[in-house]
Amino acid sequence: MENMQAVNNFVAAYLKKKGFKEAEQLLEDLQNKDSAPIDFHNDPELAKFIHHFSQSEDDVARYQDGYSKLRSWTYSSLDLYKHELLRVLYPVFIHSFMDMVAKGHLQEARTFFNNFREDHELMHSRDLQKLEGVLSQSHLEEMEFARSLRQSKVNIKICQYSYDLLLQYLHKTQSTAMLGVINEHINFQVSSGQPSSISDDAEVVTLIGSCQDTANQINQKEIHWGLLEDSLEERLEKAGGLLSDSEKTEEENKEGDGDETKKRSVESGKQGASTKKLKKEKALNATAKSARPEASTTPAAPRVKAKLPLPLMYIQSTEVEQSILEDLRNRVQLSSVLLPSVSFYTFLNTHNGLNCSSISHDGSLVAGGFSDSSLKVWDMAKLGQQGGSSILQAENDSTSSEHVVGPNGGKRSYTLFQGHSGPVHSATFSPLGDFILSSSADTTIRLWSTKLNANLVCYKGHNYPVWDVQFSPVGHYFASASHDRTARIWSMDRIQPLRIMAGHLSDVDCVQWHANCNYIATGSSDKTVRLWDVQNGECVRIFIGHRSMILSLAMSPDGRYMASGDEDGMIMMWDISSGRCITPLMGHSSCVWTVAFSCEGSLLASGSADCTVKLWDVTTSAKVPRNEEKSGNPNRLRLLKTLATKSTPVYSVQFSRRNLLFAAGALSKNL
Amino acid sequence: MSIVAKETIEVIAQSIGINNLSDDAALSLAPDVEYRMREIMQEAIQCMRHSRRTILTTDDVDGALNLRNVEPVYGFTSGGPLQFKRAIGHRDLFYIDDRDVDLKEVIEAPLPKAPLDTGVACHWLAIEGVQPAIPENAPVGVIAAPSNGNTHEQKDELPVDIRLPVKHVLSRELQLYFDKITELTLRKSDSALFKEALVSLATDSGLHPLVPYFTFFVADEVSRGLNDYSLLFALMRIVWSLLQNPHIHIEPYLHQLMPSVVTCLVSKKLGNRIADNHWELRDFTAKLVALICKRFGHVYNTLQTRLTKTLLNALLDPKRALTQHYGAIQGLAALGPNVVRLLILPNLEPYLRLLEPELLLEKQKNEMKRYEAWRVYGALLRAAGQGIYERLKIFPPLPSPPGHTIWKSKEKVVTAVPNKRKASMEPLEDEPALKKIATDGPIGSLALVTTLAPSGQNDAGQPSSSEKKTANRVGKDGQTLKKSAILNQIWKDDLNSGHTLVTLLELLGEGILSFIPSPEMSLFL
Repeated sequence: MENMQAVNNFVAAYLKKKGFKEAEQLLEDLQNKDSAPIDFHNDPELAKFIHHFSQSEDDVARYQDGYSKLRSWTYSSLDLYKHELLRVLYPVFIHSFMDMVAKGHLQEARTFFNNFREDHELMHSRDLQKLEGVLSQSHLEEMEFARSLRQSKVNIKICQYSYDLLLQYLHKTQSTAMLGVINEHINFQVSSGQPSSISDDAEVVTLIGSCQDTANQINQKEIHWGLLEDSLEERLEKAGGLLSDSEKTEEENKEGDGDETKKRSVESGKQGASTKKLKKEKALNATAKSARPEASTTPAAPRVKAKLPLPLMYIQSTEVEQSILEDLRNRVQLSSVLLPSVSFYTFLNTHNGLNCSSISHDGSLVAGGFSDSSLKVWDMAKLGQQGGSSILQAENDSTSSEHVVGPNGGKRSYTLFQGHSGPVHSATFSPLGDFILSSSADTTIRLWSTKLNANLVCYKGHNYPVWDVQFSPVGHYFASASHDRTARIWSMDRIQPLRIMAGHLSDVDCVQWHANCNYIATGSSDKTVRLWDVQNGECVRIFIGHRSMILSLAMSPDGRYMASGDEDGMIMMWDISSGRCITPLMGHSSCVWTVAFSCEGSLLASGSADCTVKLWDVTTSAKVPRNEEKSGNPNRLRLLKTLATKSTPVYSVQFSRRNLLFAAGALSKNL
Repeated sequence: MSIVAKETIEVIAQSIGINNLSDDAALSLAPDVEYRMREIMQEAIQCMRHSRRTILTTDDVDGALNLRNVEPVYGFTSGGPLQFKRAIGHRDLFYIDDRDVDLKEVIEAPLPKAPLDTGVACHWLAIEGVQPAIPENAPVGVIAAPSNGNTHEQKDELPVDIRLPVKHVLSRELQLYFDKITELTLRKSDSALFKEALVSLATDSGLHPLVPYFTFFVADEVSRGLNDYSLLFALMRIVWSLLQNPHIHIEPYLHQLMPSVVTCLVSKKLGNRIADNHWELRDFTAKLVALICKRFGHVYNTLQTRLTKTLLNALLDPKRALTQHYGAIQGLAALGPNVVRLLILPNLEPYLRLLEPELLLEKQKNEMKRYEAWRVYGALLRAAGQGIYERLKIFPPLPSPPGHTIWKSKEKVVTAVPNKRKASMEPLEDEPALKKIATDGPIGSLALVTTLAPSGQNDAGQPSSSEKKTANRVGKDGQTLKKSAILNQIWKDDLNSGHTLVTLLELLGEGILSFIPSPEMSLFL
């Protein structure tokens, strides 16, 4: 009976430790009643198990030992099931490590970590870097990443046979430590049949299970990804009805790229006519909208109503509208066979100080944000006149920077905007190019007028550096992303934010508007992209799949797809309505600073720190999921062209309305 | 335990005035210091990314400290990497080399040049997807090769010789081998051992490292030893052997070899003794040149054109010596009948006019010169003959299927008609002629049939035996008859070769006829 008592005590202690209160209660009841005692003596296996457990509860060496055994067993397992079993190793590894840290065996935890980290370096190097620093219980609680790992279970999809193999092994070897870790932190989704192939790896292991669950839940929400009613394209179709097709093509042929550069200066002049009388316009807008009949043609993308009251900047001046319509008419239809022309703006003599660049929609203005808190704007049309009659000639002289400054006796070739008190991290042009927004590490966003060359408004609201700011496609509204883990929506006429989007677990690094202005997407250092409803500020999609911090976002013009580029050089194409990754586009070897869709959505351009602009064919990749049965098609993603620059990392790419691609970057010699 | 050592904590504590930090405190502080450091570095990396950089600078660390409301660490500007120096006497102790700056010096120093102001330059990175080759763009070829995955596979097929700037290390054995071969070449090129050496050069697999040395050796020796006939011949043989060796990748060195080889072909003087049979050397070199062109012509498509240009220049320059002309002719002839037809035959007439005075006893008294002229004439004859022979051989003999006898005989009749002779001939000779006709048939048959239909000889099979007589006429009949026959026949068969043949006949006389295979000749003449 003494023996019996001891066993009971062990069990009770164990249950208490693991927090199984009900079971503990039951056991106590059992003990109190003393009725029908479990016959432990006749079950030597169980006794041994329990004995073993109690005896070396705190023995950390078991983790080390158990893990290394599990590891070697996994590596020597059958090839067919190996890759499934290998998936188990990583969660076991990090949780063993954290268990050891939690129990205070720091030295052992460190050696354990260093012994086995190489196995996972390839897949999870960034996570490992983070975890490496965890050296005490308090760190575990403090660190967001570790805490979320501890609190949730890992989901692993595994086939029945692999699962049986694993359980068999664990029971046979009595590696209770491993069994404990697996029970506690891994949630197996056992599927019958064959083991899944290695290729569809994307979702088999989701480290943060609870996050995945909420993501799944959130991704159930409905999204109206269609385009706005009464878009300019739509109006073009109406206007285009007047022109016969042959005329159109003729014009297209006539309109070379060289022409476009000339036109640019004209356009920028035209756009100057537009000023801001927003409030009146809004009222006008409502009447105008109701008055305008619905388009008779049925475009591919469904139309949705704007949830925001839209500004009426386009309609304000017929001149501006005409010039935009003209642009749309002269748009080059890009495809995999007809690639765009790329005009590249190289920043010279930046002394490593250029933080960001932005190009206006017509390419006539280029802005650069610098680490010395300044924002500089170049008028390319003027530059062209100085250097020669057109941009084409300006490119002939490699010393253009000197001669631009030279003849004017030290006069600057750019407009200098000073006002920020910290490095400028982002700049964006309004759709018509008359305003610039810049965001800075001084936690403010400033609005500048390119006409007055002056600062108009300073928006304060963020508590930490503002990493990114983006004008909405219709202007007036803008979104910002900050280190304070929020994204905010603003309008130009209010100094307080209209909405605050909170939910990311780490910095919000980039932000982008949906084509219909009803949603914004944010990319974060927590490796997710979220889509938010602008109207109610709710998160409506979580896109999980990136392995590192997200640096750039782009929305397709039809509103259906989104592209995101990350720190490792991977670009992912997402289907917004389903929240799934269509295909990863791999090719860049370094940070993807910028991505942009062409105006009709057939091409994706990406610029990277590896000094290349890459053009991707997204028509093929986007079409596949619609007819799922053909999804075995290997060439879903296609790199069309790699355009290498001369040691110039590409900071921004932007398609003009005529589908001319602009790219900008700073020449950096020491790369 | 932690990568921050206990001692480090103690040193830091001392630097801020805490002298009696207990060991325990230091020990428990160390992990936390490490954790905070990592945290700051993580934020610094964030700052770096948002400054669109891939290299971490001290500014980023300052930015990260700012984020945490910590005073930045002043004094570390990102002007350049910090200079760490090793403390003398300690293996792993480093310090920052922080010089004392003399203020006076700084003040008195002239102002540094103002840095250039930031500017923007614009250029076309691509025009409709194609990168223009302008200085602003990166050289396309360099970048494209490694970035593309496909080129890897191509590399396997067409090995590209990437010469790395590493020192070429030759094993002792190879050096010995090289020395031995060169010695043999220079001293005993007629020995049996040299022949062995040539075989070795042509077959051994490990010789690739020596190729640059051999090419240099050949080039060097040829330029120096133009008077030494046997040496030149030996060198050419070495080249020949190297070319034969399947394990040697000689392509990258061709540009060094070609000048020497061409020299041996068209040099004015090869060897200094009359007894030197430089003709033989030239013949051999011509074969060598042809071999090179055949093997590498598809890789370097300018190779053959450049070569023929050189040779043709040598041939058409009347100031050059006859020996040079001979070499040029031989070289061109070795390149194949097409070259002969395109380059020699058109120039034949003017050249022969030039050559004629040299040939005749009365005009050229110098025996040697006359001999040379005759050599050249012979070479020319052979080249032209070979050319025309190959030309005629283009019509390959077909096996005559028995089922076509009727058709064949018709053709036979047709060919026979123009000169109705009852001369009989051996069937043996007749057979190839038939084939010839059969093969030629498709070309000219239409014309033939139309012209000859009126002659009404539509008999099938039998009657033609008596009419198979075209062949042996040649020996008996006179020149004029031949010509007319040729014209007749060839006009229908092959305009080009016919004309050529006629011209050749006019120019070279009957000498050419020996090159025309009898069946064809029988047909044409």
